[in-house]
Amino acid sequence: MQKINKNVVLALLSLTSLVFLLFQLYYYKFYLSQKNGAVFSKVRGSQSGQDSTRWHVVRKFLGLIASHNIPVYLIDPLILGLVDKDIEQIKSSPDGPSPECKYFCAPRDFTTFALLDKTWRHEMGLFRTAEKMGFQWLKIINKDPRLDGMNDLSGIEIPLHYIFKLASHAIHLVVFYERSGNYLWHGPLRLKQHMDRKFVPFRKLHFGRYPGAYEKPELLLVSIDDLKVQIPKNPSNFLEEMSHSRFLECRYREARAFFQLYPDDASLDAVEFRKKAKSLLHLAALTLNNLGVKFWLSSGTCLGWYRQCNVIPHSKDVDLGVFIRDYKADIIPAFQKAGLPLKHKFGKVEDSLELSFQGEGDIKLDIFFFYEEDDHIWNGGTQAKSGKKFKYLFPKFTLCWTEFVELKVHVPCETLQYVEANYGPDWKVPVKTWDWKSSPSNVQYNGVWPVDEWDDVIQIY
Amino acid sequence: MDEWKLNPAIKPHKKRSWYLAWKYKLMNQRTLRKLCQTGAVLFLLVTVIVNIKLILDTRRAAYEEEEESAQDYDDELLNVEVPRHPVSNKKVLDVEVYSSRSKVYVAVDGTTVLEDEAREQGRGIHVIVLNQATGHVMAKRVFDTYSPHEDEAMVLFLNMVARGRILIFTIKDEGSFHLKDTAKNVLKSLGSQVAPFLSWRDMWTFVGKKGGELYGEKHAKSPALSTWGDPVLLKTEVHLTSMEDAECHWPDTELNRRRKRFCSKVEGYGSVCSCKDPTPIEFNPDPLKDNKVFDVPVAVIAGNRPNYLYRMLRSLLSAQGVNPQMITVFIDGYYEEPMDVVELFGLSGIQHTPISIKNARVSQHYKASLTATFNLFPDAKFAVVLEEDLDISVDFFSFLSQSIHLLEEDESLYCISAWNDQGYEHTAEDPSLLYRVETMPGLGWVLRKSLYKDELEPKWPTPEKLWDWDMWMRMPEQRKGRECIIPDVSRSYHFGIVGLNMNGYFHEAYFKKHKFNTVPNVQLKNVESLRKDAYETEIHRLLGEAEVLDHSKNPCEDSFVPDTEGRVYVMFIRMEQEADFTTWTQLAKCLHIWDLDVRGNHKGLWRLFRKKNHFLVVGVPASPYSSKKPSSVTPIYMEPPAKEEGAVAVPAVAAAEQT
Repeated sequence: MQKINKNVVLALLSLTSLVFLLFQLYYYKFYLSQKNGAVFSKVRGSQSGQDSTRWHVVRKFLGLIASHNIPVYLIDPLILGLVDKDIEQIKSSPDGPSPECKYFCAPRDFTTFALLDKTWRHEMGLFRTAEKMGFQWLKIINKDPRLDGMNDLSGIEIPLHYIFKLASHAIHLVVFYERSGNYLWHGPLRLKQHMDRKFVPFRKLHFGRYPGAYEKPELLLVSIDDLKVQIPKNPSNFLEEMSHSRFLECRYREARAFFQLYPDDASLDAVEFRKKAKSLLHLAALTLNNLGVKFWLSSGTCLGWYRQCNVIPHSKDVDLGVFIRDYKADIIPAFQKAGLPLKHKFGKVEDSLELSFQGEGDIKLDIFFFYEEDDHIWNGGTQAKSGKKFKYLFPKFTLCWTEFVELKVHVPCETLQYVEANYGPDWKVPVKTWDWKSSPSNVQYNGVWPVDEWDDVIQIY
Repeated sequence: MDEWKLNPAIKPHKKRSWYLAWKYKLMNQRTLRKLCQTGAVLFLLVTVIVNIKLILDTRRAAYEEEEESAQDYDDELLNVEVPRHPVSNKKVLDVEVYSSRSKVYVAVDGTTVLEDEAREQGRGIHVIVLNQATGHVMAKRVFDTYSPHEDEAMVLFLNMVARGRILIFTIKDEGSFHLKDTAKNVLKSLGSQVAPFLSWRDMWTFVGKKGGELYGEKHAKSPALSTWGDPVLLKTEVHLTSMEDAECHWPDTELNRRRKRFCSKVEGYGSVCSCKDPTPIEFNPDPLKDNKVFDVPVAVIAGNRPNYLYRMLRSLLSAQGVNPQMITVFIDGYYEEPMDVVELFGLSGIQHTPISIKNARVSQHYKASLTATFNLFPDAKFAVVLEEDLDISVDFFSFLSQSIHLLEEDESLYCISAWNDQGYEHTAEDPSLLYRVETMPGLGWVLRKSLYKDELEPKWPTPEKLWDWDMWMRMPEQRKGRECIIPDVSRSYHFGIVGLNMNGYFHEAYFKKHKFNTVPNVQLKNVESLRKDAYETEIHRLLGEAEVLDHSKNPCEDSFVPDTEGRVYVMFIRMEQEADFTTWTQLAKCLHIWDLDVRGNHKGLWRLFRKKNHFLVVGVPASPYSSKKPSSVTPIYMEPPAKEEGAVAVPAVAAAEQT
């Protein structure tokens, strides 16, 4: 009996599965071929391992932009990654025909190019030609952040992204804009309500989740897979930059609201202080960048950026943060060379290091070194006369780019937590009297330096 | 795959004879049975795999679709598009036109497109032009034909309107006093039957098509000299034509698409919208060799004077060495027509919410425009600042290209300006000559970014201060003793007649006769000698060779300067201290140059031309050049006239007028 059951079950199962399988094969083909979009191409690609559609689309696109004299360069991270491996070979044979399609044939949904603004204005003609060539296009515009800081200019939108789609492949063209602070910026990709959300699988785009900031790249004309394209001269640098390029815009609207509540100090002293603070920050940034030391705006300077997009006129100093792992012994001589003598040095590399440099006209540049622990980050403070140590705790943070007084600088991406840790929930209210030992809400008493170390850990000039 | 083995409790199915037979047969062939079982298992496995793949694929596809629209790719702002009214297919427009002493209005399909009941203004004939296909208002004008010459302007305007447009006329208060026959005939040719007989204080409304039908006309005669005609209300219907008929058939190019867009929206720009041989909107002037200002951004400061802007941009885009990509037009207010003009020329325009009033509004607009310019062009070290009521000389950029390095190198310079305040037809001569002056003329000038960012922007007058930006810039606190470089012959021409600080009389007196360079590629000759110290050497040389004029003569008389050409003359006037301009002001007045405040001076020295001779005026003893005065010469003193009654108060500002 058992045996009979087993066979019956077996037969029945086989039958149902056969039917099911047939149905599914049919459905699979029907449903997916109808989509005819990315998914299908991917399936086909993974079967063949090659995708000449992509190569053709890229070639057509390059033809299109060449016919309109629009200089673009390749920033597709996947291709640049491959190119980087063979960079020497590619550089050495700029014109040679390539035996196989190595770069532009890997099956992908899109290829990413960059465009520097300034270089074009009449896009309608381009779109028309593109349409004639069979491209579908999508343009993503948004507010011009370069004018966002100004309260009363409005209605200015600039193109941030273009997508040209042909068959199953799309070209993502990211528009880079030059901004104050000598860097390039690209905007986030945000769809407006009426836009076609299925135009391409937006999620998978390599650029556009966040705005990004980049150095101006040097370009190189190369021929890869028989296509002539411009690429960043140093692809690995570019890729490295890309991995932490996220950019935060200053909160201009909130800053305006702040100034509504607390009108800006327009006195001559304030103007003068801001001017000096700005040039001190520029000098400090130049010095640290030359040394390759990564830094960010900290304490009052960070608060000024976050709250009012400007230097707080009564802050009287400029504060920077540096991870202790980035510490270099050359920092002090480099600043001295730049005309900023060391004013005091507290702590040591192992513990609570803090450097102060004397800027022009009473302005102090403070560099706090930050120590990373498992669940928090901290920096130290030292009271000179008593040798007391203090510790300021911050939640962990990562670094983002921003623009501040015409400078591209880092700030903690999680700025609100950072500012709140430092200044408490009332950071929006300006405070003129500030005691660094007691006012911060994240300060902890951290013992006293042993007296025999004082000469080393408390140096005042 | 164990499932089926572990499932012994499945109920036996109803047996059938064929099935049983088959089964027993199989049971007897164990190998075959085993084979079948393995086959089935394999089959099942394949099914399961395909199944899973399918589920994954479809889910991913579905996920992507959903996620594409996921939040972080959505614009956080809900851009709710206002549903546009579908282009009405209605072929008929209802037009209402009202004319009376104190009020006029025009309504098209129930929408008021003109309403003027303000007292003491809007007198004359109001004209509205409608697009014959869409019914949109393309132009609105008022011609005060009570006053002279306004009828000529009206004729000019009506001639510019394209054939087929719908014209609506209505009179407010009085519109016939200076309405001459020419104008009346033009109105008659448009189909008006009443126009030839329009007379004092008549009320009149008229709707017609240019070169075509009369849609309606009403007229009320004034019964007596002291009274007005009764208000008239004209209600009529206008038949719209098809879009095709309303447009010209220019070849389909990028330029013509812009032209078409423009011409379907606005009227009154003349031949730019002619169907036959329209005037070009792209000029392609010769590029400049070694152009040092090709990458300098140009900010055009504009208000709501689109016709001025049109004229200004034409001249700007025709100047040699212009780089249209660097031009941004800043419009103070959300006016459509100036923006249309900007788009016609393919330039970029930015609109600015007006802040404050009058002069302060202009100041705030300037500030916003300058800040925006340097934000948009972060690489720029300079910006060229222009206004919408300036003609730009053909060698404007050539002039700047040759002199801009001075602004970069000489810290004692405040600006380079294209405008010479004292450069009138009779006082300017040499287009290759430059001066240093202590005043800031504006009207087409170059601003250094560092000056703006470090000094001016942080302390720019706030909106509640009703200051002129240019007066503020001229204040010693800002200027700090620095000077501007100007040409002898101006590279800009101020043609604006209506404006905030401007009117016809004022323009006639101070701007109309200004000399304007029209020669291309002028090679500037004394550029290097304009540096701070070199200029002093130059002045001393000049004074050394200058002939002292006869100080016994009246300096206002033409005979004061001999009838020579190309000589250098000097005169000395009394100037007790640095700020004593009593004599200078009188002299300026009689020479018919700028006398409203002191302009164009350099250490108590003025340089101009008289009768094609270089003419130097030195203020003694305040000027350091007083030492050049021969001891025998007594400086001329001119007394200010006794205070006249009801002296005309003319605003002492002319650089920043805007509506």
